[in-house]
Amino acid sequence: MQHDIPVPALGPQGEVMAHAVDACVHCGFCLPACPTYALLGDEMDSPRGRIVLMKEVLEGTLSLADAAPHLDRCLGCQACVTACPSGVPYGELITSFRGWSEPGRERSPLDRAKRAGILKILPAPKVFSVAARVGQYAKPFAPLLPAALRAPLDLLPERVPAMRPQPPVTPARGKRRGRVAFLAGCAQQALTPNFNAATLRVLARNGFEVVIPEGQGCCGAAALHTGARDEALRLVRQNLAAFNPDDYDAILSNAAGCGAGLKEYPVVLHGLPDEVQARAFAAKVQDISEFLAGLLHAGELEPFLPTSRPLTVTYHDACHLAHAQGVRAAPRELLRAIPGVTVVEVPEGDLCCGSAGTYNLEQPELANELGVRKARNILSTTPDLIASGNIGCHTQVGSHTRRQGSRVPVLHTVEVLDLAYRGEL
Amino acid sequence: MSFSPRKTAFTPGSRAPKPRSGGTPDNPLAAELTRVLGPTKVLSTLSERRNYRYDAIQFGETPLAVVLPESTADVVMAVRAARAAGVPIVGRGAASGLSGGAVPMQTGLVLSFTRMTRLEVFPEWREARAQAGVVTLSVTEAARPHGLIYPPDPASFRTSTIGGNLGENAGGPLCFKYGVTGDYVRGLQFVDADGEVHDLTRDAYDLAGLLIGSEGTLGLITEATLRLSPPPKYTRTLLASFAEVGECAEAVSRAIAAGAVPAKLEFMDQACTNAVEDYLALGLPRDAGAVLLVDTDGDDLDTVEEERTLVEAACREAGGTVRRAATDAEAAALWQARRSVSPALGRIRPQRMNEDIVVPRSVLPEVVREIRTLGDASGLPVVQFGHIGDGNLHPNILYDPRRESPEAVHALAHAIALVALRHGGVLSGEHGIGTIKRPFMREALDSVTLGALRDVKRALDPAGRLNPGKILPDEERETHAHP
Ligand SMILES: Cc1cc2nc3c(=O)[nH]c(=O)nc-3n(C[C@H](O)[C@H](O)[C@H](O)COP(=O)(O)OP(=O)(O)OC[C@H]3O[C@@H](n4cnc5c(N)ncnc54)[C@H](O)[C@@H]3O)c2cc1C
Ligand code: SF4
Ligand code: SF4
Repeated sequence: MQHDIPVPALGPQGEVMAHAVDACVHCGFCLPACPTYALLGDEMDSPRGRIVLMKEVLEGTLSLADAAPHLDRCLGCQACVTACPSGVPYGELITSFRGWSEPGRERSPLDRAKRAGILKILPAPKVFSVAARVGQYAKPFAPLLPAALRAPLDLLPERVPAMRPQPPVTPARGKRRGRVAFLAGCAQQALTPNFNAATLRVLARNGFEVVIPEGQGCCGAAALHTGARDEALRLVRQNLAAFNPDDYDAILSNAAGCGAGLKEYPVVLHGLPDEVQARAFAAKVQDISEFLAGLLHAGELEPFLPTSRPLTVTYHDACHLAHAQGVRAAPRELLRAIPGVTVVEVPEGDLCCGSAGTYNLEQPELANELGVRKARNILSTTPDLIASGNIGCHTQVGSHTRRQGSRVPVLHTVEVLDLAYRGEL
Repeated sequence: MSFSPRKTAFTPGSRAPKPRSGGTPDNPLAAELTRVLGPTKVLSTLSERRNYRYDAIQFGETPLAVVLPESTADVVMAVRAARAAGVPIVGRGAASGLSGGAVPMQTGLVLSFTRMTRLEVFPEWREARAQAGVVTLSVTEAARPHGLIYPPDPASFRTSTIGGNLGENAGGPLCFKYGVTGDYVRGLQFVDADGEVHDLTRDAYDLAGLLIGSEGTLGLITEATLRLSPPPKYTRTLLASFAEVGECAEAVSRAIAAGAVPAKLEFMDQACTNAVEDYLALGLPRDAGAVLLVDTDGDDLDTVEEERTLVEAACREAGGTVRRAATDAEAAALWQARRSVSPALGRIRPQRMNEDIVVPRSVLPEVVREIRTLGDASGLPVVQFGHIGDGNLHPNILYDPRRESPEAVHALAHAIALVALRHGGVLSGEHGIGTIKRPFMREALDSVTLGALRDVKRALDPAGRLNPGKILPDEERETHAHP
């Protein structure tokens, strides 16, 4: 797309944005992939439309306030990136744009407070755990609360589990194959501590020593994607300092959103002195399923015990795994490697479940609509188990399938693998 | 919150409140439309209207208002309001058109059909009734459980709408054997420039046929009755690669002369295969000057295999190397490659001028070579692909408007159009004339024929309100507009 974006005035992030706008040939191939287009059926709420809106704001022919409602409805799911044959890096565009435009946004004091709250609470596991507990007690009063507060409460599990300590080093079991670093994640430590526990057990069982480096923090994705660029930069640098890529065979994450965030570091630091360091770091980052599938391919993965009865496992693609990281085959291959498991696909599988990042809090109606649709699609496959690789999907899919009367367990892929190792499937 | 929850969405399948930018309609037309249709069907803020001034090829004027009708009655009301206001109306589907058809050339009203998505299948009649906004692929998806498909398959079939397909008389790889959109239309409903509703069959005067391919200049199509057919039982796929594009065209002529009627015969030149390889990495032969992708199909496996063998032999005789697709998955990947050609070209240059010529098959090798020569001499990247079985070629000139002069691009496009005309071909096979090829119409048609087209237009749209600036050149001698 031809543009008049004043690139030099916008700095390195301007380059990133102009490149993305430039690459779009407005063919519309991305439209059917976009969840908001599927719901609303209008051009402004499609990827192509959003690219045009951002281009015009950057060119100064459209006000930010005019474009913002449509840009805010973008889930950042990056389904459009997978669909785009021209290779438009939409994810980089919207992230950079949000960072660039946030200082110019007019927001109500309440809105500001809410956003600041989210950014304080989400990345701090201890604070989050306390907040979740408070929320748990507030749950019965939910019907009395305004929608914006009701949404997060709806997502809380019936019982918020106790925080478990994170061992700084988990020794390898059996023959030692190597050493990996692990990003422990934020909200999921509080909501679903078993994700990490299962991850550590599965890695140890495969002969890996797992280090949770001290000083690591939130991956920064939440801050970055809501436009809090300075905060994001601080977190990115904190992690670059905590993880020395030379010390590990891989840097692993078991949360699709965080993994995608870590892989994005070179774009965040594009044009800054630590870009090179970010590249070295990002080159080592892998999702847990990618890493384990690598072992599987090499014939080095410890075999699983067979299930006690044939199991249909419906695998739900997390957007940040499938679209942002391009990891689709790995989790399926791992699940299929469990004797007795059949993996089935979700109809409309590429459509986001609606819980990307803070979407449930910012766009509760649309998020709910997508959640209902996703749960219906998943349940149409009559699964025995639902597996996915992201905490956001996990809570969204779990709460919506429960609401539709289902008792089918929703597990992290690595939890399924862990159960298979223990013969408990 | 950025929208008022009063404004409930009507997108089929969605009960979510329809978020809308704030603001009041800022012109009388938008205000009137909002009054008669309600706020959820009318877009009036700048950010909304701005997004309805382009298609896949170019940008035009920002409309005064956009209507997202949900029924024929909504279309009627919108047309009447626009008529009362004296402004032009542009119909729009998914705006994947490649000739500027859905681009407003004057400020006015855009009617976007993306929410008119009602679709019914009548297996006993082998028919589907689709509203204009139904996405092409979903007709086949709905028909398949009944053992039927809807054959017209433009590369854009995941995105484009039935209304847009009808507007452009879209074709696709299958059109060589099975025909184009127009061949599958049993009847249609349209709203004329006065806001009257017409239900057409194809009896008596084939007025439906006239509307098909008229690019929204004669009427607004609201519904169509489409013919469905059972899919062939067997399909076989092969990929042949050639050192040079002319050889590829020769292979096609030989195969057809030998009596093969393949379902699909598609070619891509080297730049295309490389652009697609950059996107999909399927292992296409990067160093071949051209590749040919062929499907033979039918209900009798022996005949299907026999035809594949005929095509194979023709390819070898023309100097090609042949690879058979061993599995359905391999065949599907090859076809995905073909469908991705056009947008994948965006990796080479951000803009393109897209031609859509059709020439007699006998002159294909010459035409393809002449265009190659013109392209090489111009210094601009020119790529060629298309439904070569029909003689339908899509030479695309790729350019970067900041580096390459639009005059040079336009001159080259004109030269290519003339190659087609000189060899007895036409300007458009399936993408329409739109704004892009409008300036060449005087060379393509004699003045008497052009006059007849103008008479038809006048009969159906006397005031010239429907999609002005498309297809027919202005009456007085015009200067060529640049894209
Ligand atoms: C990557 C790519 C590949 C393509 N491949 C092919 C191909 O293989 N074959 C092919 O034929 N085309 C192809 N096209 C072109 C385009 O997709 C088709 O012309 C398609 O039919 C347009 O449908 P649409 O819904 O996007 O229509 P639009 O682009 O929105 O509109 C097209 C024309 O139809 C008119 N129109 C739209 N709706 C109506 C209506 N309801 N009533 C009256 N007029 C209406 C518009 O005014 C306009 O003139 C391709 C396009 C792209 C971007
Ligand atoms: S698919 Fe890619 S090139 Fe086409 S409109 Fe979408 S982002 Fe632009
Ligand atoms: S990121 Fe997702 S929601 Fe946003 S434009 Fe792309 S497909 Fe649509």
